[in-house]
Amino acid sequence: MRDVRKLIVALLVVASAIALAACGSSDESTTASGGKESGAVTGGEPEKGQPSDGEDVPTIVVRDGEPVGGVQELEYSAGEEVRFRVSSDKAEEIHVHGYDIAKDVPAGGTVEFDFPAELEGIYEAELEGLGVQIVELRINP
Amino acid sequence: MSFLPLAHALVSRQDLPVPAWLFAWGASIVLIVSFFALAAGWRTPRFEQAPTRSLGAGLSRALLGLPAQIVCGAIGVFLLGFAIYAGLEGTEAPDRNFALTFLFVTCWLGFPVFSAIFGDIFRPFNPWRAVGRAVGAGFEAIAGQRPAHLAYPERLGRWPAAVGLLAVVWLEVVYGASGGVAVGLDPHAAGVAALVYSAYTLAMMAVFGVEEWCERGEVFSVYFGMFGRLGIFGSRDGRLERRRPFAAATTWATIPGSAAVVIASIASTSYDGASEGAFKDGIEGVFEWLADTGMNLTTALRLTDTIFMALCFAGVGLVYLLGVRGMRTVPGAPSLAKLRVGFAHSLIPIALAYLVAHYFSLFVFQEQAQFGYLLSDPLGTGTTDLFGTAASGIDFRVLSANAIWYVQVGALVTGHVIGLMLAHDRALVYWPEYRRATASQYWMLAVMVAFTCFGLYLLSVSNG
Repeated sequence: MRDVRKLIVALLVVASAIALAACGSSDESTTASGGKESGAVTGGEPEKGQPSDGEDVPTIVVRDGEPVGGVQELEYSAGEEVRFRVSSDKAEEIHVHGYDIAKDVPAGGTVEFDFPAELEGIYEAELEGLGVQIVELRINP
Repeated sequence: MSFLPLAHALVSRQDLPVPAWLFAWGASIVLIVSFFALAAGWRTPRFEQAPTRSLGAGLSRALLGLPAQIVCGAIGVFLLGFAIYAGLEGTEAPDRNFALTFLFVTCWLGFPVFSAIFGDIFRPFNPWRAVGRAVGAGFEAIAGQRPAHLAYPERLGRWPAAVGLLAVVWLEVVYGASGGVAVGLDPHAAGVAALVYSAYTLAMMAVFGVEEWCERGEVFSVYFGMFGRLGIFGSRDGRLERRRPFAAATTWATIPGSAAVVIASIASTSYDGASEGAFKDGIEGVFEWLADTGMNLTTALRLTDTIFMALCFAGVGLVYLLGVRGMRTVPGAPSLAKLRVGFAHSLIPIALAYLVAHYFSLFVFQEQAQFGYLLSDPLGTGTTDLFGTAASGIDFRVLSANAIWYVQVGALVTGHVIGLMLAHDRALVYWPEYRRATASQYWMLAVMVAFTCFGLYLLSVSNG
């Protein structure tokens, strides 16, 4: 009797754990594909009217204090080189938090960021004056 | 939601989600440990009425005597006063103002962790208790009698603390409405909130008595004290004592509403963890629906967040009550009310595990600011440099992503094990027959596995 009950509970617990693990891993796969999508978006950035230098450097276009197409996700592995450009219709200060790198972009101009990905985690880059996030920087270990 | 103005974050950094392989390992370890616990459970209670050992009288006098009480109380009052001053007078940049980091990181996250190790260390430093007792002593000296108080309604129990706990977190993560950042509140609002809370607390102490209110209604005493029950030092009749770890938790939940406090803790941490991850789509859906009705956007966002926070509380409470309900089916079970109170303390380790898992990295990073530039330039004026550390920053390299993941999963598994131990111990009291005690614990095991796996799940969901 006791053993039967133990067995039932064991089966229930294992089943729920497998279900949870499945949820977790399927979620993982969707986020992975989500990452690829955002890569495609940033790769396709030049379509948004930005002149391409022939290099695949993602460019974030800021118009009226907002990133066109929403916050851009950029993903790197630790040790890689983080490279992206920001062009803006108005003069702004761009601040990469965590790395604490700040650069000014003039009105109608473009500024380029280029630094090694040495801090792991998720960091944001903002229009410092407006406090508006434009980039989500993911640095995987 | 990008059209909403995002306030500055305290730390503009988030942890990477726990990878799938570690999630699977964590969940597997939880299950293996749980079955081991079922098989190897002890047969007589080990934590209930565990023996304590009195420490030396000299040490007790030095640490608990009146001079120490006055010094500690004065430190508490000074720090609270200073935090309020910094909040009201200092910079509006949250990350440059002493107030937010001190109140919401150093105290709010620091006291639970250190109390869980050492015992209730907040009590001597509690600024409101210190002021209340000083006023009481003054009254006694002048009037020649102790101040009279109203009898505290016993059934209200710790409900005011549970509601207050949710209110503090609401203020921190909902009212701030800054898109799920650690602390979205601006320093001035935090200063005002601290003043309002002080006035409310002192008034309640005047009505019901200082110790009575600290035990039941004062949010921080109740909340930090709850974790303090896990710690190894306590005091009784002015004497310092060493006790078995976790043992004092067994007598914590006897006051009504205690279960609500621990459930509120788990729920609010869950909400904070899930609002940018697991619940993100749901929150956006409800928000857009509310915004479409023509509601002001900020109001719509706050209302949405409030709804989801309330849902977390209801959900966590429901899982616990289902477990309690299940235990009632075991022959010889005490009443539902008794079971509900009886197992609440076994959730304290889970609540602590959730806190550590969600805020460990924030605490480590932000304490560098606390003891670095915030100490030297508390108002963030840029012109003060009290200790020569005003130019220091936060070194994010001290924790690798892997180190954070292991601490997170390790905390959840450890909390799970301690929770199971406390629940098993309590079951042995209610069901003297070992077989039935074990049968009742299938239910608590299910509750704990649910909470721990939900915690792992929250950590593994991408917070993009």
